[in-house]
Amino acid sequence: MPFPTRPRVPVRAALTALLLLAAVAACSGAAPNSIFHRHSDFNREIDVLWKLLIGLGTAVFIFVEGLLIVTLVKFRKREGQAEPEHVHGNTTLEILWTIIPAVILIVISIPTIRSIFNTQARASADALQVEVIGHQWWWEFKYPQYGVVTANELYLPIGRKVNFTLHTNDVLHSFWIPQLGGKRDLISNRTNYLWFTPDSVGSAAFNGFCAEYCGASHANMRFRTFTVTPAEFAEWTVHQAGAAVGTTVATATVATPTLATPADSNRPKHVPGGGKGDSAQVAMNAPAVTTPATAPAATPAGFTGYPISRVATSNVIPTTPLPAEIAFTDPYGNPARGATLFAQGQGGCIGCHAIKGVPSAMGNIGPNLTHVGSRLTLAAGLYAMDAKHLARWIKNAPVMKPGVIMPTLGVGQYNPVTKSKMTVGLDDQQIADIVAYLLTLK
Amino acid sequence: MAYGSNTGLWSWLTTVDHKRIGTLYLFTALTFFMMGGFEAELIRAQLQHPNGRLLGAEVYNQMFTMHGTTMVFLAIMPLSAAFFNFLIPLQIGARDVAFPRLNAFSYWVYLFGGIFMNLSWFVGQAPNGGWFGYAPLTTMAYSPLLNIDFWVLGLQILGVSSLAAAFNFITTIINMRAPGMNLMRMPMFTWMSFVVQFLLVLAFPVITIALVFLQFDRFFGTNFYTIAAGADPLLWQHLFWIFGHPEVYILILPAFGLVSEVLPTFSRKPLFGYPVMVYSGMLIAFLGFGVWAHHMFAVGMGPIADTMFSLATMLIAIPTGVKIFNWIFTMWGGNINFTVSMKFAIALVGLFTIGGISGVMHASPTADLQQTDSYFIVAHFHYVLFGGSMMGIFAGIYYYFPKFSGRMLSEKIGNWHFWLSFVGMNLTFFPMHFSGLAGMPRRIYQYDANQGWDTYNAMSSYGAYLLGFATLFLVYNMLKSWHGGAVAGNDPWGAPSLEWSIPSPPPDYNFAEIPRVSSRYPLWDVKSPELTTDVPHTREGEKRIDVDAAGQHVGGGKAIGNPAGASSGASRPTHVERNHKTAEELGIPMPYPTIKPLFVALFMVTMFSGMLLIHKDKLGLALAVIITSAMLMTGFLYAWLLSPLEPEHH
Repeated sequence: MPFPTRPRVPVRAALTALLLLAAVAACSGAAPNSIFHRHSDFNREIDVLWKLLIGLGTAVFIFVEGLLIVTLVKFRKREGQAEPEHVHGNTTLEILWTIIPAVILIVISIPTIRSIFNTQARASADALQVEVIGHQWWWEFKYPQYGVVTANELYLPIGRKVNFTLHTNDVLHSFWIPQLGGKRDLISNRTNYLWFTPDSVGSAAFNGFCAEYCGASHANMRFRTFTVTPAEFAEWTVHQAGAAVGTTVATATVATPTLATPADSNRPKHVPGGGKGDSAQVAMNAPAVTTPATAPAATPAGFTGYPISRVATSNVIPTTPLPAEIAFTDPYGNPARGATLFAQGQGGCIGCHAIKGVPSAMGNIGPNLTHVGSRLTLAAGLYAMDAKHLARWIKNAPVMKPGVIMPTLGVGQYNPVTKSKMTVGLDDQQIADIVAYLLTLK
Repeated sequence: MAYGSNTGLWSWLTTVDHKRIGTLYLFTALTFFMMGGFEAELIRAQLQHPNGRLLGAEVYNQMFTMHGTTMVFLAIMPLSAAFFNFLIPLQIGARDVAFPRLNAFSYWVYLFGGIFMNLSWFVGQAPNGGWFGYAPLTTMAYSPLLNIDFWVLGLQILGVSSLAAAFNFITTIINMRAPGMNLMRMPMFTWMSFVVQFLLVLAFPVITIALVFLQFDRFFGTNFYTIAAGADPLLWQHLFWIFGHPEVYILILPAFGLVSEVLPTFSRKPLFGYPVMVYSGMLIAFLGFGVWAHHMFAVGMGPIADTMFSLATMLIAIPTGVKIFNWIFTMWGGNINFTVSMKFAIALVGLFTIGGISGVMHASPTADLQQTDSYFIVAHFHYVLFGGSMMGIFAGIYYYFPKFSGRMLSEKIGNWHFWLSFVGMNLTFFPMHFSGLAGMPRRIYQYDANQGWDTYNAMSSYGAYLLGFATLFLVYNMLKSWHGGAVAGNDPWGAPSLEWSIPSPPPDYNFAEIPRVSSRYPLWDVKSPELTTDVPHTREGEKRIDVDAAGQHVGGGKAIGNPAGASSGASRPTHVERNHKTAEELGIPMPYPTIKPLFVALFMVTMFSGMLLIHKDKLGLALAVIITSAMLMTGFLYAWLLSPLEPEHH
């Protein structure tokens, strides 16, 4: 042989590297979205398969790589070695390694087929019905049994089977909550179904994702799922089905850009100087906002939304950084003025968004905003729902989320779609007012 | 027209020599491989940290689309084509492919098609619908710019190249084998290539139809995929994957063939279970047409379809497993020489196994619902395509570079390339299993912090940088060795098949005399007959007939002089032998060099690219470009068809 032959054992090194890697990976911290959290009957069904697949897969891996390594070590070229024996085949061996894999595959296929038919059977009729509608790039959730329409935040009662009816408004999407089960695609001109029972979790918050590539902001099409007690769910549906409440806090003013944490910003701050006169003004100029002034409670009764204080894991709190280019001066928003601006169509919000109880706001292109202030996230799970983010979102949404249909609304802002500066639009004070108003819509 | 000279740009533009076309394929495909690799580096840099800010959403989406499209259509397939071109005629003892000018045409179409698709970067509208191009995202309603036009037209162009080449190689293998080279004596690379050509011929028309539908939707207002007109998007998905799954085997089987050449040579043993290796290759290809919908378990096909596609997919694991065991048992009992080529081949066996195991995991539909479109899948198919295809192709490059160039690649630099690639590859792709199981979807340009994905993504990114660095060693090695490497001689590795019986690089006519073959390992019959006693031979009564490469019976297994006058590998030559007798001296008719296939290819591509002007609202100009190109293309095609291939035979 013309070449020096140093015996090397590449695969032994490889195996060591892989095991090390696996060890590092396993210890690298929590995996809050892991598919191995078995929080539904669906995911437990999948878990049975996974245990089998990983067990057999590991066994095959160790056997094949082990055999390979033994071969490489045992039969490496040595000095003065005779030419090897000229074996060119062995029928018994070849039959053996045809039959053994076949047996392994039969062992896998039986529970596989059972699980296919189990999980794709029809959901029972008493299941909670949820209609999921995919949009580029947000999620619309409808509860036809309760008359609820919401966006990007899904509430599910523990222990009740939920049957999802999946549609898309545009391109393909895929509905996936890794901790609660496998995904199902949303196919244009088709209806898909998926059901499971969230059970072993108690009250918890989960991340959901779009898992089918759907264009520019596919990465930004996320949602949150909250599992709540049946009693809380009942209160939530009653509240969500009702008209907007919130104008009763019209006297409040919100320090728009200064609020950082979602916990704080969900509650408008009372600032001295936000006069009661403004409240009267709202009542006169914005009759569309029908909540009677006789309902004094700033916060509606009962369970109206998953409180951030109950969010136990940080993975559901968005940390997407704000783009630096959207500056915001520091005005205080007046919710009463904001309600007026909104209902009068300033900025064109009502062209796309609906608020139940505001007759002029009937748009159905963007998310329903009736209870927008009760949500924890903004822009399909991309940002925290607080004054700071919402103000910038209204000012220049396309900069905050590539491709979004919501236009640039702030005057003087660079519009990435038309590639020019906005000569008309809302000024910071108007935006602050609208933000203040929207955040009161609990 | 006389024979062209053998050097200079013009000789490369007009060549119809399968070896030079193979060399062109090799270097072009490696260039595209570098581009696809650079795109991958940018992708990994973007994903190294949560909420990465290097690329915007739009550029990222173009980047991952072009990474996939480039690696599949412009890198791995043409790298395989480089070996088809260079090796098939040599391995079957032929002087060229059946249609040398069609072969040149295939290459130029590939080159111009690849350039066309990448020109999209310069207008800032590179394809952005994913390499799978799912409708309706790729329809005009959702992608109104030129991005998808470049993709649709580019893939149509590349399809022409692949189909022309496939028919060429099928004809070559069926008709041009040397005497005695019956099918079951063909080298395993030629066998796997043969299977792949049928996959190409059967799979590419399907994607062509899918693309024609999309092209007509986009340019002429038809409604195959128009959602508003009631189209069913699953039409695209079924058509795409009926092509797309066989495509996986188009990408992997040539690599399987290459390692099936490398492992026996460096184990000094015949391939274990040759007939079963042939049958399992055919079985993989056949079953590969019946499993496409396992890419679609999440679309809601219903339990019956899910079950059928699940079982069919699992079946493929059996012939694939047989191949793995046969490779291991080729080495078992051998005398393993760990050259760089051998290391890459062994790496394929080890790493493809991992991709195979995760493949069986996807075959279980209910479990697949937690895997599909997550990074677990990204890990899986990179183990198949990098751990499998690329490792096999690297093994082939180190093994056959001496035959291409007459020079050896440096083993020292090659070892750097191998070990860095091996570590880098596993560091990049193994953590993706974990990020996928931790819930990370594919094709996302950014992800939030606190998802438990940061560590895995950082590991993948560092691994990718290492992998990119490793590839530089290959480039350096090839550039350095092309002129300055150690002289290879005919048979530097002591290999068994015909291509090693002739000089390196081979003379333009390959074989001065067409060899006669009496077993699967003609060169071992001559040089190491004791290695092939167990292999079927042509016999004369009790006596085995060994035939040397010149076609002479040598009975006792004694090597005689080489036909083209160069020395054999036993004693290392000191310079690359290029002064062989010319084809004219030997009276061998050789095809004339011709520029016509290049022009036919060029005008075909300009004809397609004229379509883009339609979407720029320049219909008149578009028609002018398309019609002029079509006329020129037809003109050159006629000139090609009406000119003789080679001098008249005497």
